[in-house]
Amino acid sequence: MNGSGRALLRLFAVQGVWNYERMLGVGLGYAAEPLLEDLKIADPVRHSEAVVRSAEFFNCNPNLAGLALGATVRAEYDAEPGAQVVRLRSALCSPLGALGDQLFWAGLLPALVGAALAAVVLGASGWAIVAFLVAYNLVRIWTAVWALRTGLAAGMGVGRAIGASWIPKAVPLVGHAAGLLVGFALPLVAMWYLRPFGLRGGVAVCLVVAAGVAAGRLFGARMTGSRFALVAVLVTLLFRLVTR
Amino acid sequence: MDPLVLAALLVWGTVVGLDLVSVAQSMIARPVVAGAVAGLLLGDPAAGLRVGVLLELFALDVLPIGAARYPDYGPATVAAAAVAVGSPWELSLGLAGTVGLLVSVVGGWSLQQLRRRNAEAVQRRAAALAAGESAAIRRLQYGGIARDALRSALLTAAGLLAAWAADRLLVLDRRTAIALTLVLVGAGLAAALGGALRSAGRSRRRRWLAAGLVLGFALAVLR
Repeated sequence: MNGSGRALLRLFAVQGVWNYERMLGVGLGYAAEPLLEDLKIADPVRHSEAVVRSAEFFNCNPNLAGLALGATVRAEYDAEPGAQVVRLRSALCSPLGALGDQLFWAGLLPALVGAALAAVVLGASGWAIVAFLVAYNLVRIWTAVWALRTGLAAGMGVGRAIGASWIPKAVPLVGHAAGLLVGFALPLVAMWYLRPFGLRGGVAVCLVVAAGVAAGRLFGARMTGSRFALVAVLVTLLFRLVTR
Repeated sequence: MDPLVLAALLVWGTVVGLDLVSVAQSMIARPVVAGAVAGLLLGDPAAGLRVGVLLELFALDVLPIGAARYPDYGPATVAAAAVAVGSPWELSLGLAGTVGLLVSVVGGWSLQQLRRRNAEAVQRRAAALAAGESAAIRRLQYGGIARDALRSALLTAAGLLAAWAADRLLVLDRRTAIALTLVLVGAGLAAALGGALRSAGRSRRRRWLAAGLVLGFALAVLR
């Protein structure tokens, strides 16, 4: 099967036409196109059906989309019934979404951002940011290559391949690292900002932090960090206007 | 502002806007990266970094999952850096952060509009998709990326306009400027801490978070 290099490159734009109707579906179809080219010669009718299926509804974490792409393309070449391919694709949405979100958005990314923030405030400045970008992208590019290869090799057995892979083991580890590194960075960042303001500034910021965390607990997802900040800014401006 | 610098900021804002969802997701859209580069382009890397770290605290509160609506901090950080340069950070950080947060909210709204336009484009080409036309898939893909590039460019331009207006029209006295800075630093720390607590849930990750906080606090005191 040819085209895996081009498919891999296209996976980095898998959310290019993300929408509420098919979500990642069309992007996955775009990535599947080079992989399905050989099928066009071998079985044109099957190729046409495979192209239709490749762009149907799909959603998962973009970093693990290669697993679904590889598995469904393999299934098309293995001449699995179309309904089976559609079922496989649907079945992969939730696990690849949950695993990918935990691994990348709630794990690796906050862990590396925490490390970068700590390094910046400890004096590493620009180098910390370069290191953050290099580290994150090495992991995600390696993961994308692994995901596509694993999917292409496993086909309909991709579920077992995922279960036996490094991903389920890595999720709790990166989660712990994220907790540790974000926790480590926050007091350092606080001190970086608060040093010029002395004790009064520190007490004022502690009160805002307590109010922000309490508001988040009280109002849940409705009170995001940025909403709380904008409300707090408005209250501060009104207070200054009245007391001036 | 020098027209060349303005053009460079517009290009940078567009690139980081695209990076958030559509192309690459290489994390150059993270505020700490977007702010540092914007600061470099503006000739004040330290100011860009201060703003970037502040907005990064808010970005740590966000999980960009599926159809969830989340702020677009990349172009917002570029705009915020434009407010922050050229004055002491203690006085400008509050206003810069406020402009950044407002632009990021508009960015979140613009992402929703983009997704609706993409869905309309998919509906328009439904027959071609049902017929298995690869060219239709390609056209949809390139159209979606072009729309996001336009969205990001417009958002960055609007953000830079807001930065210019804030710089010219909003004259804050020293105490108000410092109060805004402290409020935003506090709110940012609360956002990052709230996000970390939420991600930790009741799992063992909470203990790792507590250990990190203790270590970080000890190092901050000792330095």
